[in-house]
Amino acid sequence: MHWAMGHRISKMGSEHIVEMKGICKRFGGVLALKDVNLELRRGEIMGVVGDNGAGKSTLMKILSGAYQADEGEIYIDGQKVHIRNPQDAFNLGISMIYQDLALFNNLDVAMNIFLGREISRGPFDLLLDKKRMYKKVEELIKELRVNISSARLNVAPMSGGQRQTVACARAIAFESKILIMDEPTAALGVTEAGKLLSMIRNMRDSGLSILIITQRIPDVLSIADRVFVLKGGQKQDVLDVGKVALDDVVTMIIKGKDRNGTQAKSIEYKSFG
Amino acid sequence: MSIISRLNLRRLSKYSVMIVLLFLVVLFTLTSPYFLTLRNIQNIIMQNTYFIIVAVGLSFVMMGGGIDLSVGYQMSLVGVVTAMLMVVYHLPVWLAVGAGILLGVVLGMVNGIIVSRIRMFPLIVTLATSVVFQGISYMVSQSRTYRVFPDEFLFLTQGKVLGMPFDIFLTLVIIILVSFIYYQTTFGLRVVALGGNEEASRLAGINIRKMRITLYTICGFFTAIATMIMISKANTTHSSFGPGTEFTALTAAIIGGVSFMGGEGNIPALVAGVFVLAVLGNGMQLAGWGIYPQFIVRGLILLGGVAFDEYQKFARLSRQKTK
Repeated sequence: MHWAMGHRISKMGSEHIVEMKGICKRFGGVLALKDVNLELRRGEIMGVVGDNGAGKSTLMKILSGAYQADEGEIYIDGQKVHIRNPQDAFNLGISMIYQDLALFNNLDVAMNIFLGREISRGPFDLLLDKKRMYKKVEELIKELRVNISSARLNVAPMSGGQRQTVACARAIAFESKILIMDEPTAALGVTEAGKLLSMIRNMRDSGLSILIITQRIPDVLSIADRVFVLKGGQKQDVLDVGKVALDDVVTMIIKGKDRNGTQAKSIEYKSFG
Repeated sequence: MSIISRLNLRRLSKYSVMIVLLFLVVLFTLTSPYFLTLRNIQNIIMQNTYFIIVAVGLSFVMMGGGIDLSVGYQMSLVGVVTAMLMVVYHLPVWLAVGAGILLGVVLGMVNGIIVSRIRMFPLIVTLATSVVFQGISYMVSQSRTYRVFPDEFLFLTQGKVLGMPFDIFLTLVIIILVSFIYYQTTFGLRVVALGGNEEASRLAGINIRKMRITLYTICGFFTAIATMIMISKANTTHSSFGPGTEFTALTAAIIGGVSFMGGEGNIPALVAGVFVLAVLGNGMQLAGWGIYPQFIVRGLILLGGVAFDEYQKFARLSRQKTK
């Protein structure tokens, strides 16, 4: 039976780059995630939506190694994996960009991108190869066609959009396969959000598989292929963006999958903001 | 804030300590004919080599966002143990010095382990361990004074290398080595990053706990080296030798631009910070202003340094918000 399961999974591995199965997570007495299954297809953008406390961030942090699941299994490319810390996730090609961005305000763009994975030289790789890191980041900036003028700029005074770009560049520089973004557009103005969304689309087109946690449903509908809906720590449904409207998603977020309360939806969206 | 004033602020914070040092030198040159003499300048430098080494060691902990108030009593304990090994137990000098440095490393590591395991404020942890070290130091030494060290040990401060006293040579080597570590090595970058954003460092896959323990251990190592210089210079020691050093090292680090919150600082400014305090004490004495007023001035300088550090943080934050 084990053999049969393994066989099935390896066949599916070609389509799903990530599979999370039966994920449970408790914080003290609170069950934050109940038996959640998630499948991410290769090269798609999937929105992960839900109200506050639905478990979106928890689920994604389990995938990125910031938390560990109490139960459940994770498969990457059909291979069962154990993600115990951010380093494990990183080695599997998973990068997460956090809402508070986790940037170092006292370092420049290049060092922010390379920290923890510095290009080194010299005996025992003790020395920083600054020249190569700056060169690589300058190339990356050009490649991404973004609004950052130099790899030597300090990130502290940068705008929200520029900081998001730096965080994305970090994932791209390390050739991540799976990118998780936590509320990427939340702090951005309309123009900056638009630029970022088109950059995310470009990243998908270049082969990345992307998960986006967001409360801004219109944003996710504009770029995502599918939307994964969580409510109260349980998976509700996965909606195909091409086949649903904004209201359907919002209703699902608020009411869950069992009740199709179509009448109340417009009012509730207003209060949802 | 315009670009010009922002640049000025950054440059000011980097060089302000040099400007203060220059100001003090000019001031005391005008007030005393004995201040700017070769002999007095030599004196100032030679009396402060061990302060510089302690401050450099402390900079690792502070750059990483921590603090170590126990360096003074680490010196007290390392000092009496090394002295006893040489004077009472007649161990070879190299063995006694080796054991003393090893003890310093262990004391630093103990601080690091407590700070990173129990995750308490390092200010309180090291205040507590400093009292523990004090107790051990007095118990070990029975409050006796040890004097007349072997000649090989006195070489540390009386011997000459390349025409300069050995301790000055050693201090220069340490300054250059540590500057190199901060600016050119992966480890140095990670120390600065840890002080800048601990959570981001963790998410970048850095082992925070191991880093912290390493930083406190390095601090203990340099503190022990400084202890050797201190007791060699005095050719005597007692458990009361060392305490107080933490204040000088901490103040020098802060006025030298090492942020109290971590992540900022540079070694040349830190060295200048040590000399600001040294010149102040020396100059006030030569100018006949008495010994004790310098303590008031030192205290005010520390307050001023911390206030300036806070002001910079605030200025940077408000810059970010207005963007």
